[in-house]
Order: sequence, then C-alpha cells, then structure tokens
Amino acid sequence: MFTEAFMIRAFLAALFLCPLCALLGVFVTARRMSFFSETIAHGALTGVAIGIWMGMTELTIPVIGFGLLVAMAIIWLKENTELMTDTIMALLLAGSISLGIFILSLVKGGYLGQVHSYLFGDILAVEDRDVVVSGILFAVVAVSVFMNLNVLTLISAHEDLAHVCGVNVRRVNYLFVLALTVTVAVSIQLLGIMLVTSLVVIPPAAARNVSCNLRQQIVYSLLIGVIGGLGGIALSYHFNAPCGATIAMSCISLFLLTLVIRLFTRKRNANQPLLPS
Amino acid sequence: MTCECHSHNPDPGPVPAIEVSGLKVSFGGQPVLKGVNMKVPKGSVVALIGPNGSGKTTLLRCLLGLQEPAQGQVKIFGESNLQRVMPRIGYVPQKLALERSFILSVREFLSLRLSQSRNWFWHSRKWSDDALRSTMAEIGVEPLLDRPIAALSGGQLQRVLIAFSLLKAPDLLLLDEPTAGVDSPGEDTFYDLITKVHKHHGMTVVLVSHDLSMVYRHASWVYALNGTICCEGSPEEVMNAESLKQAYGIHVSPYQHHHHVH
Ligand SMILES: Nc1ncnc2c1ncn2[C@@H]1O[C@H](COP(=O)(O)OP(=O)(O)OP(=O)(O)O)[C@@H](O)[C@H]1O
Ligand SMILES: [Mg+2]
Repeated sequence: MFTEAFMIRAFLAALFLCPLCALLGVFVTARRMSFFSETIAHGALTGVAIGIWMGMTELTIPVIGFGLLVAMAIIWLKENTELMTDTIMALLLAGSISLGIFILSLVKGGYLGQVHSYLFGDILAVEDRDVVVSGILFAVVAVSVFMNLNVLTLISAHEDLAHVCGVNVRRVNYLFVLALTVTVAVSIQLLGIMLVTSLVVIPPAAARNVSCNLRQQIVYSLLIGVIGGLGGIALSYHFNAPCGATIAMSCISLFLLTLVIRLFTRKRNANQPLLPS
Repeated sequence: MTCECHSHNPDPGPVPAIEVSGLKVSFGGQPVLKGVNMKVPKGSVVALIGPNGSGKTTLLRCLLGLQEPAQGQVKIFGESNLQRVMPRIGYVPQKLALERSFILSVREFLSLRLSQSRNWFWHSRKWSDDALRSTMAEIGVEPLLDRPIAALSGGQLQRVLIAFSLLKAPDLLLLDEPTAGVDSPGEDTFYDLITKVHKHHGMTVVLVSHDLSMVYRHASWVYALNGTICCEGSPEEVMNAESLKQAYGIHVSPYQHHHHVH
C-alpha cells in the first residue's frame, strides 16, 4: 500500500488537509458556521462545471474562485438584508447547485468521470502538485491560526468583547472566511463536494465529547482529524471505495468511540472532568 | 427637556475622559439618542440612569465604537479614533449570549485578556500571579476557573465578565448593569471592589444601573438619560423626586431601594 506513488501522495495530502480542516472546524462549530462550509463546498460544483465548460484542465482555480464568490455573497446578504443566516445559505446552496447542473448540461459528454471524482473524492486524482499545494496551505493557514489564536478565540466567544479588546473584528472575520474557503476548496480534491464538511465538523464534535476546555478540544480535534484521514485513505485503498466516504466513515467511528467514552465516564463520575487539564 | 439642575458641573480639566457632543442615533427612523452632550472628567465615578429603552446601552455602545452615530462626536481621552483607545477600556456588557457548545473554560477566557500578546494556548495553564489570584478570589470566580464559560449561571457569568473587565487595570471602565443577576453579597463585594480599585488606580468609571441606592452611595456624578441628558448633577441634586420624575416620566421615590442597604 505504501509502495505505490499515488498512495503516498494521497497519504501526504490527507496528512496536510485533514488536521487543517479539523483545526478550522473547532472555530467553525463554535461559531455555528458548519452550514457555511457546506454551502461553500456545494458552490464548488459550479466551479467544476464552469471549468469543464471552459475546457480548463486545472479545476482548482475555478473551484476556489467560485467558492470565494459564494462566501462573499453570503457575507454581503448577511450585512445588507434582514434574512436569517440559514435562509441565506439555503438560497445560495440551491442557487449554486442548480447553476452547476445547468452548465454541465450544456457540456457535451465525457465529463462524468471528472464530476464523479469531485463529488465523492478520489485518491487517484491527487497529483504531485496537489500535495505541494496542500503542504503550503497547511503551513500558511495552521501557522496563522496558531499565531492569532487569541484573536480567533475572543471573536468566537463574543464579537463585541473582541472589539473592546482591540480586535479588528471585520478584518479577522474576512480572513477566517478566506482561509476556510480555500481550505475547503482544496480539500474537495480528496474528500469530494458531498463530504468535505464532515472533516470540518466531525473531528471537533468528537473532540468536544472528551474535552473540558478549548485547548484539549483543539489537540484532540487535530489528532482525530489525522487518524480519521489516514485511516480513511487506507480503507479507501482496501475496499476500492471513494475516499470521501471512507474518511467520513472513519471520522464517524471515532466520534462514536468518544461518545461511548463520554457516556461511560460521565455515568461513573458525573462531576469530575474527564481528563486532567 | 433641559433641566435646572446642571448648575455647577465640576471643571472637566484639560482632557476629559469622555467627551460626547451632539450625539444622535436612530433605529429604523426612530430616534433613540436625540443629541447627547456629556463631559466626564478623568478619575470620576459617574452613573447613568434612566428608564428602560432610554438609550443607556446605546450610548455606551457609541462610546465603544460598537454603534455608529448618525450625528455627533465621541472622544475618549481626547482621541476620536476609538479603535486606538480600546486597549485602555474595560467593558461589562448588559447581557452576553454565549454559544452553548463553545467549550472555552473560564481560565482560558480570562487568560485571553491577560496575555493579549502571548498565546493562551501555551500560557493559560500557568497562573501563579498571587495578586491576580486574590482578585479572582475576591470576585468569587476562583472556584469557577475550570468550568466551561458557556455552562455558567447568569450571575456566575456576570462575575467572570467583571473579572475580565478589571484584569488589565483599565483607565476607563464602562459597566452596563454589571450586577444585574448577581446575588446581593456579590453585589456588595462588587461595589466594594470597584471602590477599592478606583482608589488605587484612579480610573474613570461609567456605571449604568437601575439600583438608585447603589448609585446614590457610589457615584460622584449622575446623568439622567431619556433620549437626551435631561438632568445631571451630584447624586444629592439629581436623586430627588422632581428630577427623577423628569427622567422617568412618572413619580419615582429616590430612596425606594434603601431597604436593601444594611
Ligand atoms: N440594534 C437595535 N435595533 C433596533 N432598535 C434598537 C437596537 N438597539 C436598541 N434599540 C432600541 O433603542 C432603544 C434604546 O435601547 P437601549 O438598549 O439603549 O435602552 P436602555 O436604556 O439600555 O434600556 P434598558 O434599561 O432596558 O437596558 C430601545 O427602544 C430599543 O428598542
Ligand atoms: Mg441597557
């Protein structure tokens, strides 16, 4: 399994992208933005469709571009209308998927394989360049998240308090959305449009089960992201299944494990924190 | 609605802590602040009173740059770029809705304020500063340090927010009903603490409260707000039936809360 070049590429890409999604996911879930990343991910379908339609060979650029467009549309609608956030998301989700399907229907045949691999994730689709892009993205985003952890945490706790502590709330929000959008768009190659959000949401949710403070949640989320990601790639190879599905399944298994740990230990000792802080 | 009682405003000194002129704010065409003027001298403890919906919270939010005024100007310590003076301000919001699922512990939350330049991720575990511990113990948050902040009761959260606002020894403290929901020993401790910290640091305090007896005992200057500052003066001057009627529109006994005092 480790001798084949495509497997090494897939493992490396998972090693970079899975913990990155899991790290951002801690703040995404804390800020109720899971649906936001879902909407951006589905916007990628339109990006793929536009890329195929225009005859591009490299689809990551239109995917990131359209993802950013959707993200900006969400923020603009949120700031300029009275609509509830989930209404806006549902609107854009339907809008971008329908646009994507419509554009694909204009293209003459031969694209189905490509669309399939973007929808469900494909380890064979990971190329050398994708590994390099993931590595750079991991370095840039993870380092900036850790360097700005205070600011991100304050904003997640309360935006007004963050403002009073001297944080430029608007700028940090935009940068966070940018980081999330690019990460989701790049991860689609590996995880697929349908399931990329699972890697943003499940590791922090599983970590939440066994943590009693934010530091623990971050550490466990990263760990669960790495284990789930690498395990999912191995399963994908073994069963010859799309790796989006196998990675999501291995993350959910870890979630169930943490849930059992939580139920078991809570029953025994309801007042004690599960793990020493 | 101007009033006869703003007779002898004390000399605000060269640079007042807060200077508000002609401040107007409206929401959806409905005016809330209709031209507020105030000058708060450095080092004073002033109270802001007024009926529900009279714009007290809105005024504080303007002072913090959280609310853009339609008209008028706000200067804090002579600076009109409010972002620049934010690090010198401590703020206790009226109510704070926290995301229930957010697992940030009280200790981590407080270290955010403490180590703005350092990363709480590496530093929140080391908490050896004794001076700090005694403040925490005094406010009653020490037993809460390892609880998730979203799981606290309303009064416990309020105590944590008070601790948060005092941590960096601010030059200006804006308190929006800070002791709402805090039990009465806690309230007494809080006002004693504010008095003590004020003596020590000489910071400026702006306090919004509906508890007129507390205002009477602790504030050196009172503003009665109802769209505009309709009355200001020392507590003795403002807290009389006549001027309270002007602010609240109905008869309010200035001493109705005194039975709480012991
Ligand atoms: N974001 C907002 N959007 C619309 N209206 C608002 C907003 N914030 C405040 N208002 C309105 O402005 C008025 C003043 O509100 P504000 O919160 O400043 O009152 P307050 O004096 O703090 O009252 P309380 O004593 O109840 O805290 C109210 O009528 C309120 O409905
Ligand atoms: Mg208020």
